[in-house]
Amino acid sequence: MDYDFTEAELAFFADIKERVKGNGSIDALERKDASGDAGQIRRLLGALADTQYLKLGLEPVEGLSGHLALMGAMEVFADISPSAYLSVEASGRLFGRAVSRWADPEQKQRYLEPVLAGKAMGALALSEASMNIENDPLATTGEKQGDSVIVSGAKQYVINAPVADWIAAAGVCGGRHALFVIEKETPGLMIDPWLETMGYQGTPISGVTLDHCEIPADRVIYPEKDVNMPAKVRMWENQILLGASLGLAKTAFDSAKDYAKHHKSGGRPVIAYQEVGFKLAEMLTMLQTSQLLAYKAAWSLESEPAESEGLIMCAKVFCTESCERICSEALKILSATGYIHGSPAERAYRCAKFGQIAGTSTEIARVKIGDAALGYRK
Amino acid sequence: MDFAFTREQQMFKKEIIRFAKKEIVPRVQEHDLKEGFDFESFRKLGDFGILGLHFPEEYGGSGADVVTTVMAGEALGEAGVDGGLTLAYGAHSFLCADTIFRHAGEKQRKKYVPGLASGEYIGCMGLTEPDAGSDVASMKTTAEKKGDTYVLNGSKIFITNGPIADVAVIYAKTDPQQQHGGISAFIVEKGTPGFSAGAPLIKMGVRTSQTSELFLDNCEIPAENLLGEEGQGFNMSLQTVEWDRSALLAPFVGAAKYMLNECADYAKKREQFGRPIGKFQATKHKLANIRIFYEAAKGLVYKIAWCKDQGRPLNHLEAAVAKLFVGDWCIGPANDAMVLFGGYGFCHEYNMERIFRDSRLAPIGGGTSDIQKLIISRLI
Repeated sequence: MDYDFTEAELAFFADIKERVKGNGSIDALERKDASGDAGQIRRLLGALADTQYLKLGLEPVEGLSGHLALMGAMEVFADISPSAYLSVEASGRLFGRAVSRWADPEQKQRYLEPVLAGKAMGALALSEASMNIENDPLATTGEKQGDSVIVSGAKQYVINAPVADWIAAAGVCGGRHALFVIEKETPGLMIDPWLETMGYQGTPISGVTLDHCEIPADRVIYPEKDVNMPAKVRMWENQILLGASLGLAKTAFDSAKDYAKHHKSGGRPVIAYQEVGFKLAEMLTMLQTSQLLAYKAAWSLESEPAESEGLIMCAKVFCTESCERICSEALKILSATGYIHGSPAERAYRCAKFGQIAGTSTEIARVKIGDAALGYRK
Repeated sequence: MDFAFTREQQMFKKEIIRFAKKEIVPRVQEHDLKEGFDFESFRKLGDFGILGLHFPEEYGGSGADVVTTVMAGEALGEAGVDGGLTLAYGAHSFLCADTIFRHAGEKQRKKYVPGLASGEYIGCMGLTEPDAGSDVASMKTTAEKKGDTYVLNGSKIFITNGPIADVAVIYAKTDPQQQHGGISAFIVEKGTPGFSAGAPLIKMGVRTSQTSELFLDNCEIPAENLLGEEGQGFNMSLQTVEWDRSALLAPFVGAAKYMLNECADYAKKREQFGRPIGKFQATKHKLANIRIFYEAAKGLVYKIAWCKDQGRPLNHLEAAVAKLFVGDWCIGPANDAMVLFGGYGFCHEYNMERIFRDSRLAPIGGGTSDIQKLIISRLI
């Protein structure tokens, strides 16, 4: 047992913090990119490529504890710029991880190397309007025609879709799950306009329509037959959202704490009033509990894999719901200061809801946790 | 970071659960109903080695580390042992025996610790007073030195094991003019003239533990019963906080696992509208809430234990966070478990109503949730 991060991990977190902060205006990262090419996020990807950040979770990294170190770094990143974080993660930890996990060597060379080098952006399109919680009736299909595959379907809420170099669309081909890697200019690929969202406003998100997109057959990635690909991708999304929830909660807590220590009312800092100080105590309790639970869930991926799915589900529910509560309480403490557009706590509050909705929603996660307790599923 | 328990720890936990389910749990309901302390079960805890787990072997213990000791508390909760017995164990082993072990001279250690470790003696700790709860410095109990003796006067309240204790650690002011620095700690034996206990208080929960007032009326004790030196009592009481925030919280964590298992079994068997209630999403949500509390609370409690094993000074902020979380959040799962059982959950036959009643102590005992918030808000 050991509850400390190593010196190397702490130095790694500090490096990530410096690189994200040093990549230009955070406010600009948190706004919809007027040029539409996500240039600042691409520059950030380049800066992160000089570290081990993009490789974590995809391959072993010497001196760092895999998913656990990744969770700590995710927290640091999301605390600074949640929008850039979500975009970088979608490229590296969804698209990149899928390629790393399931692609053949040639495909890896073509797609993974540029993504890990920060030279290309990927997106993984999973969600569909008709997707059901208990099964995975992916309506997106690929029909083999000679050396080509014709892909048809519609995807919604695809992170990075408006700017990605490649979109890996999840679907079915030849009776098995597949990822169709579609390049930006492929005929039949229609990318909807960048969605206006409540939070993560700097993250490029849109719907995607695939209208008889013809791609070479060697651009289809097939997961192993025994892998439930949609469920696996959901778990990866859950990890990303866990990291985000820690970062957002920390942003909100730190903002409220600093304000409560410096803002005076009745001649003393407002933290001296129990209704503020106690609120902060409750927020910190949720934050520290969230951190430990998320770290343990991340640790379990490598150390206790049989337990990891259940722990990630538990952490997903607790951390994302606590995050929203922390952000909400922060806004009460910050009063009008926090309500102004662009304040870190206001931004965190707007982003917080996404964590409960995306990935495995907290409602569905509870069902799955309950099913596991009942022995209805592993 | 590494959250793994050793193989030995995991095996030990299973052994405790097996032992407790066989030897203690069948007796719980009866004693809870009649609000009686289960002396036999307490002695069995001693025989099994749980009461003195963390003491060195020469004092009747097993030399276990703190994590293993905390695990024992969790295991008792997970087996279904009631909060009354685990509270009695906590007050006995950590608040009383450990304070004597840490601060008494060798003669007193040899005299008391082995008997406390085996369960031959029952211990208690007297700190709280009618007008001095969290505000310890305002205690009114005094200890006046007279030659080779101290004379204690005052009263204590809400003392777990008070009516049944053979040995008490009593905090009193040797210098009433001072605040915290005037507090000292003493060993007081049952039967000492002037020392008596009130009738057991009737409580909402943890009913098998006996709780009462203690009275000190010109109670004369040997000067050698002073623990450490005069004025060190407050710091000694703070040292028990480490146990309070780990070992004494662990049974609440274990109880969550017990509830989860019991609720899942019930939900699979109980049918409504033609199918087990476990098939309904609302039932699954309740089970999930219990599991989530269990997983979240575990991390906090074992972190305190692990830090203590590393010899680190107590991080008061993290300790308060652990107490606040377990205290405030354990009630929700207990309520969920009781409701999941429906009408049966409200009846004593099923254990959920007892666990719910027991859980109500968590945000009160050992420093209320509000006090934890006060500590946290000051430290941040």
